[in-house]
Amino acid sequence: MRIGAIKAYLLKEFKELIRSRLIILIYLVPTMILLLFGYGIRLEVKHTRLVVVDEDRSTLSMKLLQNFTHSKYFQILYTTTSYQDALHKIKQAKADVILIIPADFEKNLFHTHKASLAIFIDGAFPLRAMTMQGYVEGALINAMEDFAQKYNIAMHHIAIVQRNLFNQAMRDENAIVPGLIGLVLLVAPALLAALLIVKEKEYGTIFNFYSSPLTKSEFLIAKLLPVFLLHSLNIFILFLWSTYLFVVPFRGSFWLYWLSSEIYILISLSIGLLVSIITNRQIVAVVLTLIITIIPGFLYSGILMPISSMQGESYIEAHLFPIMYYNQIAYDTFLIGQGLASQKNLLYLGILILYSIILLTLGSLLMKKGMR
Amino acid sequence: MALLHVSNLHVQYKETIAVDNISFSADQGEIVGFIGADGAGKSSLFHAIAGVVPFSGEISYHNYTYHSPKEAEKIKPYLGLMPQGLGLVLYPELSVKEHLEFFIDIRNLKKDKALQQYTEELLHMAGLAKFTDRLAKHLSGGMKQKLSLICTLVHRPQLLILDEPTTGVDPVSRRELWEILQHQKEHSLTLFSTAYMDEAQRMDRVHLMHEAKVIAQGTPDSLIQSAKPYTYEGVYECDTCISFQNRTYALSTLPMPHAKPTLESLFFINALQHNAIPPKISIAPRSKPLDIPPIVMEAKGLTKRFGDFVADDHIDMQLQRGEILGLLGANGAGKTTFIKMLLGLYPIDEGDLYLLGKKISSAKDREDLKSKIGYMSQNFALYKDMSIKENLLYFANLHHIPLSIALTKIDELASSLGFAKYLHSLPKDLPLGINQRFSLAAAILHEPVVLFLDEPTSGVDTIARAQFWDLLHQLKNRWQISILITTHYMSEANFCDRVVVLKSGKKIVDERVDKLFEQYPWAKSFEDIFFYLYQKEKT
Repeated sequence: MRIGAIKAYLLKEFKELIRSRLIILIYLVPTMILLLFGYGIRLEVKHTRLVVVDEDRSTLSMKLLQNFTHSKYFQILYTTTSYQDALHKIKQAKADVILIIPADFEKNLFHTHKASLAIFIDGAFPLRAMTMQGYVEGALINAMEDFAQKYNIAMHHIAIVQRNLFNQAMRDENAIVPGLIGLVLLVAPALLAALLIVKEKEYGTIFNFYSSPLTKSEFLIAKLLPVFLLHSLNIFILFLWSTYLFVVPFRGSFWLYWLSSEIYILISLSIGLLVSIITNRQIVAVVLTLIITIIPGFLYSGILMPISSMQGESYIEAHLFPIMYYNQIAYDTFLIGQGLASQKNLLYLGILILYSIILLTLGSLLMKKGMR
Repeated sequence: MALLHVSNLHVQYKETIAVDNISFSADQGEIVGFIGADGAGKSSLFHAIAGVVPFSGEISYHNYTYHSPKEAEKIKPYLGLMPQGLGLVLYPELSVKEHLEFFIDIRNLKKDKALQQYTEELLHMAGLAKFTDRLAKHLSGGMKQKLSLICTLVHRPQLLILDEPTTGVDPVSRRELWEILQHQKEHSLTLFSTAYMDEAQRMDRVHLMHEAKVIAQGTPDSLIQSAKPYTYEGVYECDTCISFQNRTYALSTLPMPHAKPTLESLFFINALQHNAIPPKISIAPRSKPLDIPPIVMEAKGLTKRFGDFVADDHIDMQLQRGEILGLLGANGAGKTTFIKMLLGLYPIDEGDLYLLGKKISSAKDREDLKSKIGYMSQNFALYKDMSIKENLLYFANLHHIPLSIALTKIDELASSLGFAKYLHSLPKDLPLGINQRFSLAAAILHEPVVLFLDEPTSGVDTIARAQFWDLLHQLKNRWQISILITTHYMSEANFCDRVVVLKSGKKIVDERVDKLFEQYPWAKSFEDIFFYLYQKEKT
C-alpha cells in the first residue's frame, strides 16, 4: 500500500468535486429529498371539509356537532337542511364529507335506543377517504360515549379503542422521516461512487490507473473513501433536519444510529461500485443506480406499506434489499429506543454488516484493472 | 536480446480480431513507428503491450516475460502510456501544475532537486511554464497534448507508448512535441503511431499495419524504396491503378517514368495489393446552373472578442468563385472562431461581412443565404443512432428538399462519393473516412455555392484523405464552388489555391500557394514556408 499515491488521488478527487461544484449536490440533494418528501407526503388529513345536514336540530345533534367544531381535523363549512345542496358541494369538490343527522334522531335514540345517521365521503382518493372515515367514526363514537355516560344509557355498540403505538401523536413526520434517511443514504452514496469511477472511464483518465503501478485496492480506496467521508457528514445533517426541523423524537442510542448508518453507506457505495463495473457512460450509470436504489428504497422501505403486511414475492423482495434492515434500526433509534437489547435489531445489524462485506468483496473482485 | 520482444501477439474482441499474429522487437533509444488506416489495430497492439487488454502470445521486456495484464503489472513502473484522443488522460478541473504533482505522486517519485529541475525543464520544453496555474479545460488542443506527454514522461519511463499523440494537433505544437521526444529518446524505447507521414519519416523503424497485421516494416527510407517500382509520374487511366496528385500507382508496368515515392505511396500500393482499389469518385454537374458572383465572401476587419481576449483581430479576407482557400494556424489562432462568425454561430463584434455580394447585418439576411452555404464541422455532426440514409434525409429535410428529389439525390451522391453500400449502416460502425465523405454529402446535398470545412481531415487515413481532396477539386471544377478549409496537415496546403495563415487572432499571410513557392525557392515543402513565416512574425 503506497500512501503517497492514494493521498494524491484523494486530493485530486476533492479538488475535482469542489471545482466542478458537485460538492454542492452531495449536500443539497439529500437535504432536498428529505424536505420534499418529508413535507410532501401527507398520510393524515387535516381540515376535512364537512357539510352537515342537520334535520333533527336537537340538543343531541348540537352536542354531536360540537365534537367536530373543536377538532383540527375538521372544519364545518356550514349546516344546511338540503341534502341536494350538500351533494352538490361534494360534486364541485368544495366539500369532502357530508354528515346527515335525520329528523327524530334524538327521539329515536331515547325511545328505542336505536338510531342511525349517514356519512357520505368523497371517495375519489380511496386512501384519503378511508382516513376521513376513521376520523368521522372516531369523533362520533367519542360524542356518543360522553352522551351515554351523562344520561346513563346503556350503549349497545362495541367501542373500538384505537391507540397508535410509538406514534401516539399520529404525526406523519415521525412515520416518514426516519424511512427517508434510509432512502437518501441508499441512493446518494451509490450515485456518487458510480459517478467517480465511470467518469474516469468516460473521459479516458482511467488509463492513468491502468498504466501505472497503482494496485486495484489502492484505486478503490482512493475512489470510495471520499464518498464514504463526504456522506458520513450527511448522517449528521439528516439527523439534525429530522430532529430540529421535523421534530421527530429521538429515543434510542445515537451511537447505534451512527454505526448502522456508516455500515449502510458502505453497502450503498458498493452498489455504486458494482454499477461502475458494468457501465462506461456516466448517464447510464446515473439511470441504472437510480433505478436499482430508489425503487426498492421506496417500495420496500416500509414507508408506504408495512413489510409485515406484504405477501409472497414482495415479502421476499423486501427481505432481499438492505433498506428494510436499516429502516428497522432507524425507526427503533428514533421512535422506540430499544437498541441492541432487541434481538431483532441485533440480528439486522449483523445482516447489514454481512451485506456490506459481501458487496464490497464482490465489487473489488469483479473490478478489473484493464479494459473490458 | 532486444529490450522489447513481442511474439505471436493476438488480440480479439468477441468476433473481431484486432491484432493478428504480430511479432517484432525493438531496442532502447529507438522510436518505432506504427502507421495504417484507422481500425488497422494499432491501438489494440499498444494496449496489449501496455497490459491494458487481455491478449494471447508473449511479450518480454527486459527479459521479463508476460502473457496477461496481470503479469504485466510488473512492468508498469517502467511504462508510460498516452492513449489516443486529445487530452484523454487529463482532468479538466486540475491545473497544469496539479497534473504534474498528481503524476509524480501516483508514481511515488522522490521529490528532490533533480526531479524539480526535470519537471521545470519539461514545462519549459512544452511551452507551458507560463501557464502552470491554468486548468486543463482551458488549454487548447495542442497544449493539452503537450501536457499529457510531459505527464507521461515525468517518471522517465523506459517504455513509452504514444498512440497518435499528434492527431488533431496543430503543426507548431507538433513540432514542440517532437522536440520533447527527441530530447529524451536516448533513455527509452518509444512506440509511436501517427497519421502524419512526415513524422513517420523521422522514426528509426516503421511498421505498416493493415487489417490487424503488420504487412511491411523497415526504415522509412527502405520502405519508400520498396514502393519505387510501383510509383509512376503523371496521371494514367486504368482499372487497376490509382492516380492521385500527379502520381499513378500500379502493380503492373506502365508506359511512363517512375516517380520518387513517399511514405503515403505505401498506402496506395497496399490498397492495390489487397485489391481494395478505392472507387473512382465523380461528381455529377449541378442540377441547376447558377449565376455566381466573382467574389463569394468578403470579410472586412472582422473581429471577435471573448472578454479581454481577442480571438480574431480585424481580419480581412476574400473568397473568390471556384477557389479553395486554406486557413492555417496553430490551435487557438482563431480559425474556428472565424468560421463560426461567417456562419453566424458567433455574433460579429466589429467589421463587415459580405456573402455573395450581400452585406450581412441581421439574422434575416443569413436566412435567405442558408441554401447557398454548406458547412461541415470538426466532429462531423451526425446522429450516431440513425443510418446514413436517415441522416441524409434529415439534412435534406432541413433544407426543404422535396422527398422524391432528396431520395434520388442521396442515391446519386452515395454512388458518386463511393459509400452506396454503407447507406443502411450506422455511422458508429463505420470507419472515419466513410463518415467524413458522407458528412460532406450532407453538406453539399442542397448544392451550395460556398463550403466551409473545419478540419475535415483530422484523424482520417491517407487514402480517404486523398479521395476527399479529389472530391473537393471536382466540386470546385464542376460546380464552381468556393471552399474555405482549415487543416493541420501542412501537405494539404499544396492542394489549396491560396492560403491564409492566422497567428494569435491576426492574419500574417494571405498569398497564392504557387506564389509562395516562387518567393521561397529553398523550401522543400510547404511546412518549411509555414514555419519560416510563423517564426518570422514572432521576432
